[in-house]
Amino acid sequence: MREVYVAGIGITTFTRLEYPLVEIASYASMMALKDAGVTEVDQLYVANMGAPRVNHQTALGSAVADSLSLLPAGAAAIENGPASGAAAIKAGFQAVASGMDDVVLVAGVERMREVNNLEATDFVATLTHPLTEYIYGVTLPSHAAMFARLYMEKYGVTERHLAMVGVKNQNAALNNVWAHLQQGITLEGILDSPEAMTNNPYVAEPLRFFDACPVSDGGAAIILVSKEKAQELGRPMIRLSGIGQATDTHAVFEREEPTDLLAVRNAARAAYDMSGLGPEDIDVAELHDAFTILEIAESEEVGFFPKGEGHIALEKGETALGGKIPINVGGGLKGRGHPVGATGVAQAWEIVTQLRGDGEKRQVEGARTGLSLNFGGFGNNVVCLTFVRED
Amino acid sequence: MAREIYAYKCRLCETMHYPMRMVCKGCKQNDFFEFDTVPLPKSGKLLTWTRVYNLPAQYEVATLGLGIVELENGMRMLGQLDIEDPQIGMDVAGSVEVVRKETYDDFYGMVFRAA
Repeated sequence: MREVYVAGIGITTFTRLEYPLVEIASYASMMALKDAGVTEVDQLYVANMGAPRVNHQTALGSAVADSLSLLPAGAAAIENGPASGAAAIKAGFQAVASGMDDVVLVAGVERMREVNNLEATDFVATLTHPLTEYIYGVTLPSHAAMFARLYMEKYGVTERHLAMVGVKNQNAALNNVWAHLQQGITLEGILDSPEAMTNNPYVAEPLRFFDACPVSDGGAAIILVSKEKAQELGRPMIRLSGIGQATDTHAVFEREEPTDLLAVRNAARAAYDMSGLGPEDIDVAELHDAFTILEIAESEEVGFFPKGEGHIALEKGETALGGKIPINVGGGLKGRGHPVGATGVAQAWEIVTQLRGDGEKRQVEGARTGLSLNFGGFGNNVVCLTFVRED
Repeated sequence: MAREIYAYKCRLCETMHYPMRMVCKGCKQNDFFEFDTVPLPKSGKLLTWTRVYNLPAQYEVATLGLGIVELENGMRMLGQLDIEDPQIGMDVAGSVEVVRKETYDDFYGMVFRAA
């Protein structure tokens, strides 16, 4: 297997974007192509979850290839729920590692705000089990809420811990100009003050408004290349050193231990094995905090903290910038936003930014290794990536 | 006749499935349609729950109670809750009712109430 390097990255602002889907994907891709210094690719993958349903458009791979004048490169769209982004990166990795391609563009894109909030919620809920979950009116916030309640009962996590994740990540987004939420929040405003219940109502008890990521539009892109090509292009040598992917039961209630996220654990383990790293070697991490509880649970499942102790590490500031393992310093999904198909690529974008030392106010000092975790379904399809700076 | 929701039992190894599988998760034998249907029990204990305020399109209620119930045979299922003050561990009993209405279809599922 050949080694694979990230030679270019690009992103759009995550917000409500009044541009066609293909333009959003193309804009992020143009930045990545320019960053890498390439004008041709062998293959491109476009990660997206909802275009056929939300934007009434199919075959995004072909559309983006032509928009970017990359013809006759091979192209395909990859749909893997909220883990589409990292799944597309995996496909790009395989293309380069196999020796089949030397330069692959991976773009992730979503335009969810083309429809109203109810339709966007319903569109995401279509990933649930049709007969045993979806028909009941289950949404992703409701899955996260039932999971959070179990976590609170079993490990002593409180609404305050959840709010602390929200405050940490939303305020971190203030250091990221591309992030969707550009408004600082405080524990007082969302939890302690008399107005907190108005500012921060329940969306699915015990989760409140500020426990959930926003519905965002946006795109992100990276260029994956072979080692020879990376050396020729002369960008910082950042190797995509490990990839792990794992699935779990479609119906969430079937999982033997309902507070476990086995697919996260298995995906992380596989990525560590492939890269020869362990959780203690990681300098900076992007976890999939679509809901605040997920950052806590995932920080345990990827091995940063023992099971049931993620919220204690959070209290001590170990997951903040300057802490033992800074998590979501660019805002995470909570602050940066969550255009579902783009998220896995945006996480890789943030890690590469950090390993290049380009994080500015949110830079993790001396970061040489990074991990990103893209969580699909409600934990039924998870992709974990590790990156290493080599030069 | 009371409506039922069915689990699927492998004819080879008797592993129970809910939801159904095309291939048994126990013995992995790839024999087409080798499952018997068995009605799920309707009583159990509430494992976890939520009250949802932002419902998907098609729902015309303000909030919806949802919960996961551990049934008396040890299997679990998700259902709607018609319970004022849900508590983890409480005894619940279910009945099969309309849980979602679409233009031309009614969907039936389990609604749990305090037992």
